[in-house]
Amino acid sequence: MRILVVEDEPDLLASLAQALREEGYAVDTADNGDDGFFNAEGTDYDAIVLDVMLPGLDGWEILKRLRKTKKTPVLMLTARDQTRDRVKGLDTGADDYVVKPFDLEEVFARLRAIIRRSANKTTNIFEIGEVKIDTAARQVFFKNKMVEITAREYALLEFLALHRGEVVTRTQLYEHLFDENESSLSNLLDVHVSNVRKKLGAEFIATRRGHGYCIE
Amino acid sequence: MKMFKSIKWRLQLWYGLILVAVLAGFGVTAYQLERNRQFGRIDQELHRRIGMLANALHRPPPRRPEQEFFRPPRDQMRDDGPPMVPGNRPLLEFRLPAENAQLFGTNDPNGFYFRIIQVIEHGRQEIARSDNYHDLAEPAAAVQFDHFFDRQNHVDSGPDNPPAKLKTMDYHAERITADFLPSGEFIEVGCSVTPELKELQHTALNLTLIGGLILLVGLAGGWWLVGHALRPISEISATAVKISAGDLAQRINVAEAESELGQLAAVLNSTFARLETAFAQQKQFAADAAHELRTPVSVMLTQTQTALNRERDAASYKLTVEACQRAAQRMRKLIESLLALARFDAGQEILNRQRFDFSKTIGDSVNLVQPLADERGVKVSVAAEPLEITGDSERLAQVVTNLLTNAIQYNRPGGEVRVKLESQNGLAVLAVADTGLGIAAEDLPRVFGRFFRADQSRTGAGNAGLGLAISKAIIEAHGGAIEVASEMNSGTTFTVRLPKD
Repeated sequence: MRILVVEDEPDLLASLAQALREEGYAVDTADNGDDGFFNAEGTDYDAIVLDVMLPGLDGWEILKRLRKTKKTPVLMLTARDQTRDRVKGLDTGADDYVVKPFDLEEVFARLRAIIRRSANKTTNIFEIGEVKIDTAARQVFFKNKMVEITAREYALLEFLALHRGEVVTRTQLYEHLFDENESSLSNLLDVHVSNVRKKLGAEFIATRRGHGYCIE
Repeated sequence: MKMFKSIKWRLQLWYGLILVAVLAGFGVTAYQLERNRQFGRIDQELHRRIGMLANALHRPPPRRPEQEFFRPPRDQMRDDGPPMVPGNRPLLEFRLPAENAQLFGTNDPNGFYFRIIQVIEHGRQEIARSDNYHDLAEPAAAVQFDHFFDRQNHVDSGPDNPPAKLKTMDYHAERITADFLPSGEFIEVGCSVTPELKELQHTALNLTLIGGLILLVGLAGGWWLVGHALRPISEISATAVKISAGDLAQRINVAEAESELGQLAAVLNSTFARLETAFAQQKQFAADAAHELRTPVSVMLTQTQTALNRERDAASYKLTVEACQRAAQRMRKLIESLLALARFDAGQEILNRQRFDFSKTIGDSVNLVQPLADERGVKVSVAAEPLEITGDSERLAQVVTNLLTNAIQYNRPGGEVRVKLESQNGLAVLAVADTGLGIAAEDLPRVFGRFFRADQSRTGAGNAGLGLAISKAIIEAHGGAIEVASEMNSGTTFTVRLPKD
């Protein structure tokens, strides 16, 4: 899962990005509106965390422009909790909003929810054969036993599960699992896929040669 | 009882009382006038009859049988000429002339009667009485008569106390007039005033009825009038109730702007408008202040939550603590600014007034912001003559630093800030001009407002948009003024005018 965080307060941006990375997301950051819009438009993020008050383009404007081309789920961070601000945000195309000051747990939960909704899923738990993925707890069970899994492996699994039945290309996986600073390490993906197969069975992730990977 | 404490009821009560008093006064006066008229007529009659009787008394006594009727009592009659009384005065004879006989009789509704008494030595002798004469049954009245008689007869007729010739008195339904003739006879004529009293009673009844009617109509009219006069007040109070219930947008409908109540309503409306504005400003201020606190609190929450999510090394904790410190300092600065503004608002900020050289303060401030200017590539030039003023040098330095920081921050790279201090018309005039982007005309009135920022984004931690508001408060506390002029894309000039003393 790759997420863009646009926030101009450096201390807030840094800790948000760190916390999200520790949750297993690939995180890109922007500290002003112009960069934020450039990134948001140029990359297929799984979600965008967007502050309202920004130097350059403000959050509303980014959202308005972005919605012309992309349906990326957007979580607005707003310092104003007046109803008209929320209404404005939701009407402009935001998928959800959090009012500052917020708890990280809430941001995580809302992010999971908007990502899930964008993939047309309604629950946090995917059951695929003997494998169960709890996206809220970020835990994976195989034959009812919890499986030790790294954050990156989990991200790979979750992304494929969210797109169950679809063939996911390597490019897509690179885009969604790695942020802009690490995407050049091309064999990392194969290492992760092979590790997941070891843990959950070789046939759990099918390889479509020349296309990508798929969970049936 | 609450109802009777309302102005409407009290006005009505007073109005009713006054109306009753006026009507009663009018009624009593009208009754008295009518009574005087009636009794005046009766008195005239009584006097006329006394005069007639007096004339008849002095006439030579022709003896005619039809006048036997009015003989004096039998025992005092003498056959041979007029009887003599002691003191050798002849007892007078009295014959009522025939043409006047009908004046005393029962066919008249008033039933006039008379009695004539001659004064003799050591007493009195009745000469004649009409046969409808009757003694006064009330001893008190008789005594009064006796007293009158005695007084006329003997005593007390000095210059201070001239004998009253005529005396009229009322006795029950009768009115009696007595006259003392100079020749010593006492004539008493009375009559029943029953018809007059009846008529007066009638008049009194009529007056009461009419008065009552007028009172009712008056009260009804008064009720309407009071209601009519008080209706705008009820409207005002109804509106005021709505406003006190929290709907500050309500206004009193001013129908008659010229009337006293219209003026009151206008005054109240303008008060409500000011209240609404002040309330809205207060609300906005609180919202802005809360908003400004949200970001640093977010930083602290996110930083600490992230740090505590797992075990970290010391360097990582240090970073978190440093970020929290920055956030806390930002909050402290904001709170200090808000408190300063609140103290200026309440007039509680105490200025430490001293005589000092303002140009030196400006020089210090320029030195303070020089690193920032260098960083932005902005050139700061100062033209300041030494100029002594009285004021709080620390507070004024704060203003100068704020103006300089703004001028540098909102300047273009390689721009210029020109500071000029001069004396004009006894005022110290400080101008800080920059070569920045300028402020849009529609924003100029809000520049000194709280939480105003030239662009909506934060341009640096701690810049909450309170600096100019505080500067304005400081300058105004010194009795000075601060103003701004700006031209888009060419620059902004802030001018401060301070009294030197």
